[in-house]
Amino acid sequence: VSTAEERVRTLLDLVRERYGSGLSPEEVEHVRTGVERLVEAADAMRLVPLNNSDEPLATFVPHRAREV
Amino acid sequence: LRVASEHVFLPVRQLGQLVRDRHVSPVELAETFLDRLESLGPEYNAVVTVTRDRAMRQARNAEREILSDQYRGPLHGIPFGAKDLLATSEGIPTTWGAIPYRDQTFDYDATVLQKLEESGAVLTAKLAMVELAGGMGYRQPNASITGPGINPWNKDAWSGGSSSGSGSSVAAGLVPFAIGSETFGSILSPAGNCGVAGLRPTYGRVSRYGAMALSWTLDKLGPLCLTADDCGLVLNTIAGYDPNDPSTTKRPYQYDASDLPGQRFRLGVIKGVADGADEEVQANFRESLRVLEQVASIDEVEMLEGFPSGEVTRTILNAEAASAFEDFLETGRASELTAPEDRYGGYARMSLLATDYIRALRLRGLMAREADRVMSRYDVLVAPSRATVASALDEEFRSVAGGGAPDVMGAVGNGAGLPAISVPNGFGARGLPTGIQFMGRVYEENRVLAVARAYQSLTDWHQRHPPEAMPKN
Repeated sequence: VSTAEERVRTLLDLVRERYGSGLSPEEVEHVRTGVERLVEAADAMRLVPLNNSDEPLATFVPHRAREV
Repeated sequence: LRVASEHVFLPVRQLGQLVRDRHVSPVELAETFLDRLESLGPEYNAVVTVTRDRAMRQARNAEREILSDQYRGPLHGIPFGAKDLLATSEGIPTTWGAIPYRDQTFDYDATVLQKLEESGAVLTAKLAMVELAGGMGYRQPNASITGPGINPWNKDAWSGGSSSGSGSSVAAGLVPFAIGSETFGSILSPAGNCGVAGLRPTYGRVSRYGAMALSWTLDKLGPLCLTADDCGLVLNTIAGYDPNDPSTTKRPYQYDASDLPGQRFRLGVIKGVADGADEEVQANFRESLRVLEQVASIDEVEMLEGFPSGEVTRTILNAEAASAFEDFLETGRASELTAPEDRYGGYARMSLLATDYIRALRLRGLMAREADRVMSRYDVLVAPSRATVASALDEEFRSVAGGGAPDVMGAVGNGAGLPAISVPNGFGARGLPTGIQFMGRVYEENRVLAVARAYQSLTDWHQRHPPEAMPKN
């Protein structure tokens, strides 16, 4: 498993690749801070064990248009 | 049918009775509040658009109907304002508080505005808000097309976000009530900062159709008013199933304003919930609990200790906001936003992994079940509305979305979709109001409102108004 720092670098590279042309070097550094927070939050969430049966709290409802 | 200056700070319930009994004219009422919106609104950066033509048409209709005994209910003829993320027809702009959307218009009204129109309420203004409801991670008050929201209690302080104008307009008597929205704190924060009542309904209680989407599974619409009772009256009108918003519940809502004599409540206070709050916030909270002991038993409770509730709710918000504004970010239009941090704040989220979002949604299930288990023993949980009084206009803060101080009530409440209300409970530093919040189980708005009403019946904080905003006779 990669370290948090490695994941931040990889994710930041992704942002830089897609949007870097519109961001100044200073703004990219701010984005790095944002990515670090995302990774920290993800790591904190991974500390909570989940069972296979723990479903997302979001219900998908198959759609069928109302018939007139 | 005269409007006197003392009517400006009357609760909706009393104002409605005066209108019903023909002691106050809806047309004069609309003119009074329109004049205040136009003259005082700019002082607080509270207003985006005054909707005078529409308001006068609605007010004349209301007057005609009431004079011909066609009274629609307590909001008939009552002016109100709507956060400028609610779609309005008739060429009225809906700016989402952001320069890139300054000329945006819609050809329909948001469902809440349709419902309010059907109740006879009079739309007088589209109210200021933090750009894109704070969804780009702003960290300072100056993050809006209208400039920083200014607090009526202290003009060097912020009115709160993101429903800034909804909070300040009610506090300053520019409208008797307003509609705001909350994804993570945006109703309770301005209500607390401005010393008014702000109700965040259960997720799905009020249709979001026509409202800017920031986070589809977190966004809620709710009222800001002078009293908890008024919040109930407004919720009674705007709640309900809407086929245009599949998240709305089919459970009916009927506001119950009855207060049973001798009624006692069971209140829970999460262990350490006020730790780290300002000294005055803590002192006012302790005093509020002392007052509440007259009508309630109060227990300290443990809930979701050590659980990453903030991370769960924030991850959901970040992922959904990134998707909601993906095109906006892709086209570089974020560079036109007011706050510098909003110009780049959204890009980090574009790297959020789908598995992390799904994990947050799975943990949300655990969080919601545990919160409901704990809360089933209580009528409401109680906490300070905010840890601090309103920040200074030139002060940077760390937004909730960006990872601010822990806010368990906000994280669990919004993540699990629970109803909560903030009402004023005193004053703190720099003469600014502090607030107390009551949070209930899903669909228990009536219980939340009953406790808040009981608190307001024992205190008079809600009857105090900013001296500078008082009408001059």
